[in-house]
Amino acid sequence: MNVFNRALIIDKNFIRFVNSENFPSPRVNSSQEKEEATVSEIISLFETQVLSRHIDLKSRSLKDEGNCYYTIGSSGHEGNAVFGKVFPYTDLAFLHYRSSSFFIERSKQIYGTTPIYDLGLSFVASSDDPISGGRHKVIGSKILNMPPQTSTIASHLPKAVGAAFSIDRAKNLKIKKPQLKKDSVVICSFGDASVNHATALTAINTATWINDQGGHVPIIFICEDNGLGISVSTNKNWIENSFSNRPGIDYIKTDGLNLIDLLSQTRKAEKICRFNRVPIFLHMKTVRLLGHAGSDIELGYRSLSDIEKTEFNDPLLHSARILIEKKIISKEEIINLYEHMRNRVDHVFNSVISRPKLNNIKDVMSSIIPNKNKKDLPNIPKAHLRKKLFGKEYGRIKQCQHMAKLLNYALLDILLRYKNTLVFGEDVAEKGGVYHITADLYKKFGARRVFNSPLDETSIIGFGLGLSHNGFLPISEIQFLAYFHNAEDQIRGEAATLPFFSMGQYTNPIVLRIPGLAYQKGFGGHFHNDNSLSIFRDIPGIILAVPSNGKDAVRMLRASVREAYQNGRVVIFVEPIALYTKKDLYEPGDNKWAFRYPEILDETKVGEFSQYGNGKALTIISYGNGLYLSIQAKKEIEKKINKKIQIIDLCWLSNINIEKIIKSIGSCKKVLIVDECRRTGCHGEGLLAQLSSINSYEISLKLHAAEDSFIPIGKAATITLPSKNSIIEQAINLVNE
Amino acid sequence: MNKKRIVVVCPGRGSYTGETCGYIKSEDKLIKEQINFIDQKRKDLKEPTVTELDQMPFNKNFHLRGEHASILIYSCSLKDFLSINNTNTEIVAILGNSMGWYSALSFSGVLDQLNSFKVVQTMGSMMKHNIIGGQIIYPIINDSWVIDKNKNNQIMQSIEKVDAFVSINYGGYLVIGGAQESLNNLLKTLPPIKQYPYQLPYHGAFHTPLLKKISKKAKELLSEKIIQKPTIPLIDGNGKIWLPWSTDKKELWDYTFEEQVLRTYNFSASIEVAIKEFCPDHLVLLGPGNTLGGAVGQILIQNNWNDIDSKDAFLKKQNELSYLISMSLDSQRKLIAI
Repeated sequence: MNVFNRALIIDKNFIRFVNSENFPSPRVNSSQEKEEATVSEIISLFETQVLSRHIDLKSRSLKDEGNCYYTIGSSGHEGNAVFGKVFPYTDLAFLHYRSSSFFIERSKQIYGTTPIYDLGLSFVASSDDPISGGRHKVIGSKILNMPPQTSTIASHLPKAVGAAFSIDRAKNLKIKKPQLKKDSVVICSFGDASVNHATALTAINTATWINDQGGHVPIIFICEDNGLGISVSTNKNWIENSFSNRPGIDYIKTDGLNLIDLLSQTRKAEKICRFNRVPIFLHMKTVRLLGHAGSDIELGYRSLSDIEKTEFNDPLLHSARILIEKKIISKEEIINLYEHMRNRVDHVFNSVISRPKLNNIKDVMSSIIPNKNKKDLPNIPKAHLRKKLFGKEYGRIKQCQHMAKLLNYALLDILLRYKNTLVFGEDVAEKGGVYHITADLYKKFGARRVFNSPLDETSIIGFGLGLSHNGFLPISEIQFLAYFHNAEDQIRGEAATLPFFSMGQYTNPIVLRIPGLAYQKGFGGHFHNDNSLSIFRDIPGIILAVPSNGKDAVRMLRASVREAYQNGRVVIFVEPIALYTKKDLYEPGDNKWAFRYPEILDETKVGEFSQYGNGKALTIISYGNGLYLSIQAKKEIEKKINKKIQIIDLCWLSNINIEKIIKSIGSCKKVLIVDECRRTGCHGEGLLAQLSSINSYEISLKLHAAEDSFIPIGKAATITLPSKNSIIEQAINLVNE
Repeated sequence: MNKKRIVVVCPGRGSYTGETCGYIKSEDKLIKEQINFIDQKRKDLKEPTVTELDQMPFNKNFHLRGEHASILIYSCSLKDFLSINNTNTEIVAILGNSMGWYSALSFSGVLDQLNSFKVVQTMGSMMKHNIIGGQIIYPIINDSWVIDKNKNNQIMQSIEKVDAFVSINYGGYLVIGGAQESLNNLLKTLPPIKQYPYQLPYHGAFHTPLLKKISKKAKELLSEKIIQKPTIPLIDGNGKIWLPWSTDKKELWDYTFEEQVLRTYNFSASIEVAIKEFCPDHLVLLGPGNTLGGAVGQILIQNNWNDIDSKDAFLKKQNELSYLISMSLDSQRKLIAI
């Protein structure tokens, strides 16, 4: 037999060892005082394990035929069938990719489901796949409460914590129709290697942090420890040593090769978690069979004897031993069962090969921003309720105010109208945020809706995504733009991809407020003045808002919340810190950059832009601080060229309506794009490219962006950035070209 | 030669009609033996034998009574089941519609010969003297056999409004069960479509909570000891698969004489599970008649099975592949029978 074809060897070995009753010895003593399951339940678990194994074996052969594209399998992890049995399907499950057994077993809880067929469609990337529509091989299902995961780096753990936290919070806040049952728990699984990842550690840390403060986080972290991360071994006791004595989380260990021990320990974990509403770390020791994936040749980094030793510890052989020892079924019946499942999987998988695949751009992209669960908007709050809420500020809403104050008003109205909104982030509660945008929200809406987070951006975002799985609308804050970067994947890899990989069956709406950008005089340095938004430029489906003044900021924030609430969108709302308290435009005291609080129904829809003037000598396109400076420069430019110009404020840096912009440019032949962000990768660069491709050289286009530099401190803080004077200079040069 | 993999579908009440008279007759020794056994048991009960019933002129008011119709249907199905050529076919699963579930239990080995008779005869005779409620049938599809979701929602609301129940999810039709008063209301208010709404003669409010007493009585009369594990996988009226190894006999007994008696029989789900989880080469519909054929076609359309998305597509595919084999049609029977 070819030593490289371990799938074939494992398959043959199973039959051979069962026939000869040559079984691995139990690793734990599984004799229990009380039976953990009926005989039928144990056989049913074994049936699931065998099905899962045959799916792996079949996927390997289909891969060789070019019909299967993702062969990271579940072999060795078949013990997770027990989790699929013990946890009711109403417990939200964020799973890692070796979870076929879990999927099959959980499917048994809802009659009429078709797990083999559905997994088959996923393995062959058919557009009929009911969860991802052929976009990825994922373990997921809407009906089974399993959001699809593609992550290999534990990036689903932070949102699992948020979802767990949301359950009791929804109860406390009497949220109408939460998606998760009030006594439910959340489970999430991951491997022993990915537990080293910052995302995993931060999630576990946040769960314990909340628990330490008396908060409820009914979550079970399931570490499926197979001792290997691709080719790198995990030391035997690494997981246990790392998590068995950690405060704030109970550690329970179980043998993933032993159905009885698994049932016993999982039930224990489930009971503690469900009743005490506390995090649990369930450590399942298991093995990995068939390498990391179909393309992984284990013999390259492990000895044959080591591989064979692991293979002998096949969980299916352990289960067969239990079934025979307990005289539940005979070895002949086990072989019959094994062959029956092979036959079924073979035929189902052979059948799905012919199902259609995605074959055009439109279909692939059709699930980037769908939402199959659109909601009706809540009513506008009555005037007397607003009056009461605003208190003494109510008399001031007709006065012109700066952006910070207006945003604060907007949040008051939003929290009043949308009862499912929660505001959280670093220092947002009692302190009201470092720029007071969330001032008094804590006082007015209480600690359950407005609360501080630990100093951890990954958790802030992930937590929000998890909350949204239970019907909350998180309005979370990242304190400074530069802090977002360490948490990027929660938006890029998780939030933005969820509708894509679930065909809009799952969405994780969020409005992420981020104070940012440069031009703060006398404060900070680079990390408080970071001027790059390129991180948001290439993520499909997200909305990026950058208002330049208080009036627009309010109107855009309302539109952002509505988009998240109604359409499940992910919105990044970047607030230019330097403009927060700006009230004057041309000279001190002119109050021309202060605005009245817009009427309650006023919104700036996504993609809408503002225009200042309509002169056709020059069009300046900008946003944020660049817009403010361009308007300051406008008068002088017009004076110097003796002609009128126009300025477009993009407002939204996503969903830029190029056709409409071209229409606004109209007969103008000169366009200056002013972008306060670093030249390389800035949105202005993208706009320049788009306009150039349409332009046919009839219009002179120029980008005036910040230098590719970090922001220095002190008086040099704005040297590398566009300024009023540099805009004037660039504009005149362009007009005179 | 690879055997054809088939899923056997057993029909329910309403499948025996004037057109199926004489269906049971067979020269096959085994079939004759089995029918003789049933005839003898009927004689013991002082009921007309199935052979007599099958050979006498069809009388709606006689043949359609539960105590006769059930055993007639079972006998016809039994004949067909025993006619399947085992040398070139492999039965990968069995399912039934409504009382066809009892046939399925029998053919999958859950019930032995005697208990098969007992179950069919007992359950068919439960309302011999007093039929509880009734059933009406109503379409939820358009002319292409595609389900009209709006229509379905409206009907569901109407059903709820009059305290009736969905008795069977029957492809493109809903079989609605309830008290006669509720059904009268629906018969008056549901917009007429061809001959529908139509009340099924001699049918009780099967698969609804109205049969609580029947379920209790059935459990008293038919002990759980009659249930064995199936030798062939079974798919029930929830779409649940009962496998030869893991089947819990007590659970199967509870399901058979309680849950499926009192809750909706989801025939649509059972067919969906059959086609997807077993991917047979053929669905084989046992006799009598082939009234289930349309419902099966509609379920295939609901699942876009092999790109069948309309009645025309179904008929076209049928001509090409005979995916659905009705044993009551001679042209199709020969594809599968000895």
